[in-house]
Amino acid sequence: MKLKVGSGSCGIAAGAEKVYNALKAQNDGCFTLGIVGCVGMCFLEPIVDVYTDTGVLLKRLVRVSEADAGLIARAMKENDLSLLSSLEIEEEDALFLKKQTRIALRNCGIIDPEDIGDALSHGGYEAAKTVLLHKTPQDVIEEIKTSGLAGRGGAGFPTWFKWDAAKKAPGNEKYLICNADEGDPGAFMDRALIESDPHTLIEGMLIAAYAIGANKAFVYVRAEYPLAIKRLEKAISDAEKNALLGENILGSGFSLSLRIKAGAGAFVCGEETALIESLEGHRGMPRLKPPFPAEKGYLDKPSNINNVETFANVAWIIQNGGKAFASRGTESSRGTKVFALTGKIKRGGLVEIPMGLSLREVIFDIGGGIRDGKKFKAVQLGGPSGGCIPASLLDTVIDYKALAATGAIMGSGGMVVMDEDTCMVNMARFFLDFTAKESCGKCVHCRIGTKRMLEILTRITEGKGEEEDIQKLEALCAGIKDGALCGLGQTAPNPVLTTLKYFKDEYLAHIKEKRCPAGECAALRRYRINEEACRGCTLCAKQCPANAITGSPKQPHIIDKTLCIRCGACKNACRFGAVEVE
Amino acid sequence: MDTKTVSIKINGVPVQAEAGETILSAAGRAGVEIPHLCSSETLPPYGACGLCLVETSASPKLLRACSATVREGMEVFTDGERAQKARALALELIMGDHDGDCVAPCSLACPAHTNCRKYLAKIAAGDLAGALDTIREVIPLPASIGRVCPHPCETACRRQHVEQPISICALKAFAADEIYKGKLPVPPKAAPTGKSVGVVGAGPAGLTAAYRLAVLGHSVTIYDKMPAPGGMLRYGIPAYRLPKDILDREIDVIRALGVTFTQNCAVGTDVTIEDLQKKHDALLLANGAWKSASIRCKGEDLVGVFGGIDFLREVSLGNKPEIGEKTAVVGGGNTAMDACRTAVRLGAKEVSVIYRRTRDEMPAEDLEIDEAMEEGVIFRFLTNPAEILGKDGKVCGVKLQVMALGEPDERGRRKPVPVEGEFITLALDSVIIAAGQKNDPAGFETVPQTDRGTIEADADFFSTSLPGVFAAGDATNAGAGIAIEAIAEANEAAKTVNAYLNGETLTKHTPVLSERDLANIDFSVYEKRPRAEKPLRPAEERKHDFEEIGAGLTKEQAVKEASRCLSCGCHDYGNCKLIRYADAYGTDCKKYVGAYHPGFLTVAPGGIERNQNKCILCNLCVRVCKEEAKQGFLGLVGRGFPTVIKERIYKEDAEEICRGCGKCVEACPTGALAAAKRPL
Repeated sequence: MKLKVGSGSCGIAAGAEKVYNALKAQNDGCFTLGIVGCVGMCFLEPIVDVYTDTGVLLKRLVRVSEADAGLIARAMKENDLSLLSSLEIEEEDALFLKKQTRIALRNCGIIDPEDIGDALSHGGYEAAKTVLLHKTPQDVIEEIKTSGLAGRGGAGFPTWFKWDAAKKAPGNEKYLICNADEGDPGAFMDRALIESDPHTLIEGMLIAAYAIGANKAFVYVRAEYPLAIKRLEKAISDAEKNALLGENILGSGFSLSLRIKAGAGAFVCGEETALIESLEGHRGMPRLKPPFPAEKGYLDKPSNINNVETFANVAWIIQNGGKAFASRGTESSRGTKVFALTGKIKRGGLVEIPMGLSLREVIFDIGGGIRDGKKFKAVQLGGPSGGCIPASLLDTVIDYKALAATGAIMGSGGMVVMDEDTCMVNMARFFLDFTAKESCGKCVHCRIGTKRMLEILTRITEGKGEEEDIQKLEALCAGIKDGALCGLGQTAPNPVLTTLKYFKDEYLAHIKEKRCPAGECAALRRYRINEEACRGCTLCAKQCPANAITGSPKQPHIIDKTLCIRCGACKNACRFGAVEVE
Repeated sequence: MDTKTVSIKINGVPVQAEAGETILSAAGRAGVEIPHLCSSETLPPYGACGLCLVETSASPKLLRACSATVREGMEVFTDGERAQKARALALELIMGDHDGDCVAPCSLACPAHTNCRKYLAKIAAGDLAGALDTIREVIPLPASIGRVCPHPCETACRRQHVEQPISICALKAFAADEIYKGKLPVPPKAAPTGKSVGVVGAGPAGLTAAYRLAVLGHSVTIYDKMPAPGGMLRYGIPAYRLPKDILDREIDVIRALGVTFTQNCAVGTDVTIEDLQKKHDALLLANGAWKSASIRCKGEDLVGVFGGIDFLREVSLGNKPEIGEKTAVVGGGNTAMDACRTAVRLGAKEVSVIYRRTRDEMPAEDLEIDEAMEEGVIFRFLTNPAEILGKDGKVCGVKLQVMALGEPDERGRRKPVPVEGEFITLALDSVIIAAGQKNDPAGFETVPQTDRGTIEADADFFSTSLPGVFAAGDATNAGAGIAIEAIAEANEAAKTVNAYLNGETLTKHTPVLSERDLANIDFSVYEKRPRAEKPLRPAEERKHDFEEIGAGLTKEQAVKEASRCLSCGCHDYGNCKLIRYADAYGTDCKKYVGAYHPGFLTVAPGGIERNQNKCILCNLCVRVCKEEAKQGFLGLVGRGFPTVIKERIYKEDAEEICRGCGKCVEACPTGALAAAKRPL
């Protein structure tokens, strides 16, 4: 039998390396041991999959610890998998994969990302071979056009169109760039994909480079992804050794050099023109468009930039045909989309679903709904550039048009789920804090506008909001959307716009009543002791750092609101749930 | 080769543009101005400022006219609502983070907006004639105003946050005094226009208007009821504060400009408004406020009761009002101080000031109160005359109601309230009531009046409802004020009169100005240098005569004092593109205020000074340095809101360093860059 330890960053953070080492130490030859990337079920890591020697998955062991290594080794030795029932994934959790359709993630969690042989045995580079040896660049573009593949970085621009423009642009020196500068808080699609299956990315880029006529390509990846960079480096080197990159690939006469550029983690460098500036060694600031990169990109030469996930779909499309891809999804959004499901969700992780599934299906059927029995409040799509969608719109289908109609965007795949304890004003403030800090500082609307929005949101959450702040926010939102130079600024108001649209009452409660309905804004919290629940244990009074709680033992205690500093120590201390937030 | 042209429409008007040219350039050639701060014809487009946003038929988005190129058939709308809104927001955002003063606070505080900074700089540089010219652009009576003005400029002076305000007022008098020592400084005047203007009143307002109109080439005649010109400067201000020979010298300048003075000529008795209207092309009424206000107190009609300004006028005329040995002045303003100190000089043994509030509430200047106290004046605070006591029709004393301070009134001043049953009686020979000035409408009945008995004049242009008749100064609207207010009004009125004579109409425009946020200034960086005060003669000496109470500043003192000026305000105000746009768009500079980007002052090795507070990050300096000066000494540092432009850090042995070519200063659309040192 073969054991594969899930060793993406998520698995390693949960202790996969220790599990791997413990298993290695226990291995007396009864089983083979390997690693895989992330299968997407981050909430169950470390995961150990048990395969037959022929590659059939027998059992998925979850939340494995070092201490389980002995038991696993014994099961291997005794060839008795029933010993492992306590570690086996629960039926309900296994539902996580049920509604998914995995194209971009097809090999993630299945192959060893550090072994090109494993990739090759799973069909890796077959599409590239077909293309390089038997198809013209135009054939490739036509196939991609048939597939309806659109840019998965968030904008959803038709991929074939960009390739075609870059192909047709005059000049012999062209560049292909992969945007792996994943910056949305809570998003980890690109990281997981590169860590788990770097060859699929390389293959997609190889095909794209061939289509547009580029002989040089870059992967611009953030330096905070060391494991992804390490695995990608090894994958490039292995591909070169196997004549899949470099000069005269597979004897086709086509050459491609692929290099990694580690970015310093500026969010704006995910904007394609800022990325190009950074790639050239300049300060990462957006350029004016037009000219578009397809005309004048890297070093002013025609360049094409796509996101990791976009490239990860390419080989599959070539192998299975554009029609097969197009048959999935909706009229306006073909194929599948990868999401990083996070937040107050039961089962968080990486999912790939066919377009057209509803948000409800993703959040409740795949994600298992809200943790700790709380109520769903909203979901944020598209990170700081996106918007939140309230419970009333949970049946919205995942489709570029349908999501845009709500005020949110598809985005690159961040899906942050919020429950009833999340203050929507504070949530908007959080995202504005992010964009304000990540603004490159070039254009006025973004540099100063996001800062002012952040200041207004901050004062609202601190109970210092004024009624005219809503009008100010609205004016800022409209003006920044229209006036900012690049996508970062133009979309920065979205979290505010959507929360104002769906949760205006929360803003008004903060401003007019100086109250945070979700009880999240510390400055607005009002604690009170429920007389009936209070047993007079005096614990809260002892914990209170401001001596704001008085009461005799065994008598209900009282909080003096003028002294209370709203630290919440009493609520944390109370064993009877008697301290309530008003 | 012919340049290919494309046909576009800008705001509906067909325009031929060159293929490949930007919308901004095409619009510029077609005479349509699109605001822009960060673009330059000689540099590639940059796109930071967001002012050139326009709507087009080519895109659902707003486009930046500085970079978007024209296309055949394109329709461009430069001033649509959406573009205007985005542009207006850009201006509001820039102004909210542009922490600079357009105009120095002293000038803003001065009712006449005297350019104090400019004349202080000239005094500091020893150019006294230049300083006088600057002052007289606004104040034709600098030696007088430099002595009597309660100087709102100094109250606003930023230097007070370092240690003390600059002696702006005394420096004004110094510059004038020095120049007056030489040849009479008569300014050049325009060729005669053939128009004649009559001015009623020879006080600060009348003299100022006469000066302005004479300089403009009009023929001016002043009609004044007093024996000599000067108005309240002569008959209201005691000689120990303003020696009359100094006033004469200033009036000599006006006389030398060709202004005719008709003294002892009162409107109503010697001449009528109608006569003057017939005689002149325009008439300016600046007859002042010459009646003492009453305090409506029993005994006010007794012999020995004087009105404050009546008393001062009598003394100025050389008469000796009989005030006896013991007198009391009622009131707390500057007139009260002038009256009590004059009474001391007339030889009264005991002079009291009766004021119903406390010293803190006294409207008189602090220095005046101090000087009066030094001269032996007794201040009876929290007292108010209940009755002036008389014997045989003559004052013999005053019964004073004791007061206490109650609740603050609408202006925030605590209201005095009587303490029931508590009275003090003071034996007196006379009482001087300095409780304000009133207007006397006699002779001016044909001119529309306000309900407070003043002449009703337009608040901006000082025209009355009678054609060709204008009015300014104490005689109008709210009544008596300080001299510099009368001068300010007269300056504006003179402009209106001139426009009227030229058949023009003026429009009112209050410019949008940027003002610094005090909280964002670090005053600790300035070296403390105490203020120079005018030397004062000892109280025992000065209280016996009407000679000036002190000499002016010495030259050495003056130069040193003038150099304390922090030079607030912006050297680039006249050229600043930013404020020009903010003004055109009526930008509310304080709409989006919050934190400021890091502000500090640096001086590059080439002597170029960078004031980060005013920088709007248009990046023109960086780009000009790189592209035009072929250097690259500048760069952006930091990200997002705290981004700033900094000079390169040079290695010790660096050969290529900034030599101050000044291209960046020229390119800067605001006053963030300067070639000379400018502390604020």
